[in-house]
Amino acid sequence: MKRSTTSSGLTISLGIAAAVALAATVTLGLTLPRTVEQAEYSRLIAIHPGIAWTAYTAAVVTALASLLWLLPRTRRPSWDLLAGASAELAALFTALMLVTGSIWGRPTWGVWWVWDARLTLSALMLALLLGYLAIRRVPAEPEVRAKRSAMTALLAVLVVPVNHFAVTWWRTLHQDRSLDLTPEDSLDGAFLGAMALGFLAMTLVYAWLCVHRFRVARLEEAREEAFLADAIEERRREAEAFST
Amino acid sequence: MGYVWAGYGITLASLAAYAVWLLRRARSLDRRAR
Repeated sequence: MKRSTTSSGLTISLGIAAAVALAATVTLGLTLPRTVEQAEYSRLIAIHPGIAWTAYTAAVVTALASLLWLLPRTRRPSWDLLAGASAELAALFTALMLVTGSIWGRPTWGVWWVWDARLTLSALMLALLLGYLAIRRVPAEPEVRAKRSAMTALLAVLVVPVNHFAVTWWRTLHQDRSLDLTPEDSLDGAFLGAMALGFLAMTLVYAWLCVHRFRVARLEEAREEAFLADAIEERRREAEAFST
Repeated sequence: MGYVWAGYGITLASLAAYAVWLLRRARSLDRRAR
């Protein structure tokens, strides 16, 4: 079988690890015991916090890669490609965070949606990420596009810490942080384990998808360059034919 | 349990659909590059 240029031994291993961790998360999550407060709905704890963590991580990776592109000493075209790849995944995971949160909220809060600080900031985060992806698609010189996108990413990432602390700073319908890593943390061991596995699984899935998205972006760029070179060559030939 | 299945189902289906799109796109670009 012919191997795609976007896969290697490392990415195949990463993909297998992500699939195994995700399967374990789903199995463990769906077999969690019912709780007094939330009945079976607390089983969503295995995926929802992990998805939210990954959405934040992907947005931070986008901002860091953008910063590295903006700094003259570390400027490489690959930082811009990584920022674009990670932003697309940040948008995907933010959308999943909103959907799974809404599905969890309906039976436990009685509503699909409420305009509280956490939910509104999450929706704003998705809008900013979609705006970032739209900016990347505006036709421009690669340098101009990269600069424009990088500055947008650095502004958009500011919503991440505000969203994270929103449940502490304001009174929200959304519960306080699921994990506060203190001795008073009241989360039961099975739920804590399922949530930790969910964090690991979603992070591995993100890493695997990001590597592939980055390589696809590189192939897309190479295709654009080849297309441009062909077009220039064609015009040159036309000009030569006209002058002779 | 319907909400729980919906949460897990939508998550897995979305991630799988994105992964399939990505691998198909990679294969298509790779084929054109050769």
